[in-house]
Amino acid sequence: MGQALLTIQNLSAWYSNEKMILSDFSFVLAEHEAVGLIGLNGAGKTTFLKVLSGLLPTFRSEGICFCGSPVDFRKQDFKLCRYTVFAEDNSFSYFTFREYLAYVCAAYGKEIPDVSELIQGFHFEEYADTLLRELSTGNRKKAFLITAFALQPRLLLLDEPVNGLDFQSTEYLYQQISEYKKHGTVLFSSHILESITLTSDRVFVLEDGRIRQTFERGQINAEEIREALHDENDG
Amino acid sequence: MMKMTGKAFAKKLFGAKYERLPRTLFMDVIVFWGLYIAGFQVQIASFVRVLMISAFTAGVMWQALSSKDNAAELQHMLMLPHRRREFVFSYVGVLGAYTVLTKTGLLLAALLAVSVWKPVEIMGMVICMIHAVLMAAAVYDLRKYWYAGGLWTAGIVTAILLLGSRTWFCLLLLVNSLFAILILWRADGYAFYQWESKKHPPGIPLCQGLPQRKRASLLRYFFRYLSCHKNYLLNTAVMWCVALVLPYFLREMAGLSVVPVGFAILSLNTPICILLSCDPDLEQAVRFLPRQKGCFCIPYCLFIFLCNMAADIIFLCSWQIQNGSVTAQMIAGAVFFALQSAVLSVLLEWFYPIRGWKIESDLWHHPRKYVVPVVMLLLAGAVSSCPVLLPVLLALLAVEVTVLLLIF
Repeated sequence: MGQALLTIQNLSAWYSNEKMILSDFSFVLAEHEAVGLIGLNGAGKTTFLKVLSGLLPTFRSEGICFCGSPVDFRKQDFKLCRYTVFAEDNSFSYFTFREYLAYVCAAYGKEIPDVSELIQGFHFEEYADTLLRELSTGNRKKAFLITAFALQPRLLLLDEPVNGLDFQSTEYLYQQISEYKKHGTVLFSSHILESITLTSDRVFVLEDGRIRQTFERGQINAEEIREALHDENDG
Repeated sequence: MMKMTGKAFAKKLFGAKYERLPRTLFMDVIVFWGLYIAGFQVQIASFVRVLMISAFTAGVMWQALSSKDNAAELQHMLMLPHRRREFVFSYVGVLGAYTVLTKTGLLLAALLAVSVWKPVEIMGMVICMIHAVLMAAAVYDLRKYWYAGGLWTAGIVTAILLLGSRTWFCLLLLVNSLFAILILWRADGYAFYQWESKKHPPGIPLCQGLPQRKRASLLRYFFRYLSCHKNYLLNTAVMWCVALVLPYFLREMAGLSVVPVGFAILSLNTPICILLSCDPDLEQAVRFLPRQKGCFCIPYCLFIFLCNMAADIIFLCSWQIQNGSVTAQMIAGAVFFALQSAVLSVLLEWFYPIRGWKIESDLWHHPRKYVVPVVMLLLAGAVSSCPVLLPVLLALLAVEVTVLLLIF
């Protein structure tokens, strides 16, 4: 594992006091790696990504460090280093994709990059100048994924990025996740085993808000992860 | 089946344990006693009371029927096998109960507290509410034949205006209610599922011909938003009409010093002031993207200011035509009220967005929406009684804007 990018110690998160969604969740993300999160429904994948995105204020942790320094998920410095693609997102629906990209680039203080290759790869040519509200779920997902890969933040968070994508775009997404390590670190959640096994350097299996098992490169194979998930289900 | 359908909708609208009902009824009681103890009494003609209750109930019912959130619920309900009439009556019944108990109840409490009434008149008001609910649902079902629905509504409004004070008028409403029930008897549940026909099929772009823009303008975004929401547009158009006629009424009232009251009234275009509250996805996006305090809030404030200012300009032009003598102080007043209400609205949206609403109707009638207009009215009252306050308020506004620009 390379140098640590994000370190989290004993993270707990909740929506209501009665039930913890994440409890004593500790993990380290290294620079330039692709990490997959897998777990059954309700395991806490989306909640974890929401905490990292600064959207859930109800959490506590014994220590959160980004590049070795303590960090607040809601502070500008951290925000400028990460971007999240949510599982479902209907935001900025009166922008076209190009306008949304320009808006996000301005927010991150970056020049608008050339996205023609990404647009072609995701077969999005026809929709780049269509209002986001008029796009299907899959095409809207593509708009946010293209923005994410074009923006190249140090930490890219993807919540179930495969959902809604067609076969060709899914293949292209796997390629993009694998290649993203050149630019930064990608952490993504998925229910699709294939997406995890084809792209990840490490896999975290989540159960009841905890990391139940970690698979390192070389150990990652569908059979073992499936077995871990079955055990989780039985447990 | 009817019971289960009704229960499903009722739990959505009133909460899992119907906890919203006692809360609302408690509010009604507080409003009633508050106004009653204050001893504020007005004479309200019967037909005005009937018109107020009918128009308010029908309007809220229409909003509830048109709610986007109901579309998702209806989609699942209609997918399941259902009996047509049972479905229609349980759906209309629950939405009607929601309208009457959570919305009209408050108006009724206020009316009962401030006017003199006989016990028998309460029965009449209840009939008015039920009639308005049924009529709104029936006209909604007939909206394909909008001219028929329009004529029917116009006929009823005319009848209320001409005959609303007669004691036998309730009988007419009962007969009309039976007619509405007859229409609903023949109605299909799908008639209430508006999005099937209205919504454009996903994946087939409508605006593929939009010019390729490499810059993002939030102002353009907001104007697109406004033009795509008919109710927002209607509200803005109504405010402009009010701006046209307001100088006439204000002149009748007192004179030049009431002009600030006009500006305060024109800041009542509340739908455009709850953009983040009504779009949770947009709120999530502006919370998670960096630099949004400045990137989002400043254009949003500018947008509300432009909308308010447009109404104020119409008001000033109308004032000039009707009364003459628009002064620089009036123009300064317009700028102050338009900008101050925009700044306060954006601050409220940023720090205290309305959350936890069940359907859009809750949002449209949320008291938080009216905080800014009330503050504006209070300021208008102060400026009207002491015009020298305006330069002071303008100076304070300049400081406020400067500080906010530095913070944001």
